[in-house]
Amino acid sequence: MQNLTATMLQFDPSRSSRSLFAGNASVWRNMADALQQSLNRILSLLIAILPGILAFLVALAIFTLIGMALSALLRLGLTAAKFDEHIARRHGGSEWAPPTSPTVLIARVFFWGNILLGLIIGVSAFDASYATATTLPSSLLPCLTRVVEAAVLLIAGTLIARFLARSVLIGAVNEQLQYARFLSLGIKWLVLVLTAAMVLEHLQIGGNIVGMAFGILFGGIVLTLALAVGLGSRDLVSRSLESHAEHSSVSSAAPSTTSPDDSVRHF
Amino acid sequence: MATADSIPDPPTPCAPPGNGLLILLAAMTPEQLESVVANLTASFPNEELLVATPDALLPNAYPSLRIVTAPASNSAWTLTAAEFVSAYQLAQKHEARAILMLGSESGSLGSSALHELASAVLDHADLALPCYEPSSHAGLINSAILYPLTRALFASRVRYPLAVDLGLSLRMAKCLADAAQRFTAINQGETPLWPVNEATVAGFAIDQFDVGPSIQPAAPELNTILPLLIGPLFSDIKAKAAFWQRFRPLPPARKAMPVPPAPTADTATDITPMLSAFRLAYSNLHEIWSLVLPPNSLLMLKRLAATDGAAFRLSDSLWARIVYDFLLAYRLRTINRGHLLGALIPLYLAWVASHFNIIASGSDPEGHIEAVAAAFETEKTYMVSRWRWPDRFNP
Repeated sequence: MQNLTATMLQFDPSRSSRSLFAGNASVWRNMADALQQSLNRILSLLIAILPGILAFLVALAIFTLIGMALSALLRLGLTAAKFDEHIARRHGGSEWAPPTSPTVLIARVFFWGNILLGLIIGVSAFDASYATATTLPSSLLPCLTRVVEAAVLLIAGTLIARFLARSVLIGAVNEQLQYARFLSLGIKWLVLVLTAAMVLEHLQIGGNIVGMAFGILFGGIVLTLALAVGLGSRDLVSRSLESHAEHSSVSSAAPSTTSPDDSVRHF
Repeated sequence: MATADSIPDPPTPCAPPGNGLLILLAAMTPEQLESVVANLTASFPNEELLVATPDALLPNAYPSLRIVTAPASNSAWTLTAAEFVSAYQLAQKHEARAILMLGSESGSLGSSALHELASAVLDHADLALPCYEPSSHAGLINSAILYPLTRALFASRVRYPLAVDLGLSLRMAKCLADAAQRFTAINQGETPLWPVNEATVAGFAIDQFDVGPSIQPAAPELNTILPLLIGPLFSDIKAKAAFWQRFRPLPPARKAMPVPPAPTADTATDITPMLSAFRLAYSNLHEIWSLVLPPNSLLMLKRLAATDGAAFRLSDSLWARIVYDFLLAYRLRTINRGHLLGALIPLYLAWVASHFNIIASGSDPEGHIEAVAAAFETEKTYMVSRWRWPDRFNP
């Protein structure tokens, strides 16, 4: 208690404020230094990769121009040679034929092929400058690649889900199944869930949790569908069995009996 | 978008090599074969007939015939591209002047019908087709789509454009074989061909003959047969766009066809399953139909879905527009073509239900089918307009 009183008596306010001010100035100076160093690092990084970016853009521009020129030349040449008519004569009935004409298709393939080539060369040039820029986080490009691949997976999965959902819906409606929409939605979500799990797995997000969650969700959807279809169509199945039994007994008694619908011949 | 296909020059007639008729038979039971041979020998009593059949026959079974082996076909219900190729090859090999192709149920055709078909292609016509006696409950795809589309777009009054019994001149057979090779080259030999469309585009003479009642071969179920028929038909129409976009006068109408007996209460068809199929489709496929059909058609379908069974009528103009819109969507690949043709099935069932209602009310079935065909002709301007400018506003 005596020591505390002595200390309080020795306290000098002017000296204390001076030391606090000096401490603040030191913090500001340190912060400014840190910002300065960070800015310098980023600027030097940009200067280091700027040639790579420029090389990427120049390569892309040059190959785009080459692609446009090649595409135009091909269009002219193939049109003059009546390539479309020749192909139509030989393969006109193909179900999987593309909607555009073969000439346009070939021209587009060459155009986009050139752009792809430009991209590859540009990325190689960028990669060379990237290797010299050691301060860039080493996982940036692989991460970007994974993101692009995941996006492709997502698009493909969504397209497949929509295609399968429509196929099931139309097929089920034409079979006159009352739960056609439910079945279609089930298939769509099964594929979407599978796609989402694949995308997350590819992005290495979530680790084992994704796999487990996917298994549980997938199993849940299948079980729900099975229960819904099984319970929902119980009456249908029993009616079908009854009518089959009745039909068998009637046909054994009078084989020539036909229903009114049998008389309709569509072709 | 206007199609830039050029119209081919009119073919130059050439003298057919050899002389005689090649009769190409489909695979059939011995009883049917017996009946066909009896009718053929009655039709051509003084001629040695050249008959090609896939069935194995004893060498001396029919002494009056010269029998050769023909390749078997997998499809009994229609003539396929592969059959037209083999028919032309056989005709060339045996120096035939004309070909008579007979389906598996051709035993039901009388000898006079066979004689008329064969004589026509030996004398003046390039394509001779039978006009079977109509039945109000049979050939409904033909009545709803094939006949009206062929009549409206190709200006032909052939009532059964996809008949399985037909006569071909040698140049017609060559024309069909050339068209068929597009399919056989890509292993699609089972695709049906459209002889009337080919003959019309080539400028060949077409004739049809009343052949009386006939039994048609059993076809697959509706869900299978409709896409199998309508897909190739739409493809063929797409390939011949430059031809049918020009106006061509329709040949004069033939004499009135025999009226099939009106359905009695016992024979009347129950349309309830067709109506429930249409209503189920309306509640489920509306999203898909809205990609293909304009809002006006969708509104009319909505009203139709709420209509009672006895009052259910699909107007002829609406049906014509539906078929044309599906044809356009097929061309533009608005949705997957398999899905598109699948989505047409419930609409076709709605037409069938409406047709049965109309004939149950006492109308002449043939009169209704002619009215449908006339509606297709009237709506052709709509079709041509949408074909050329598909992106134009369409209420």
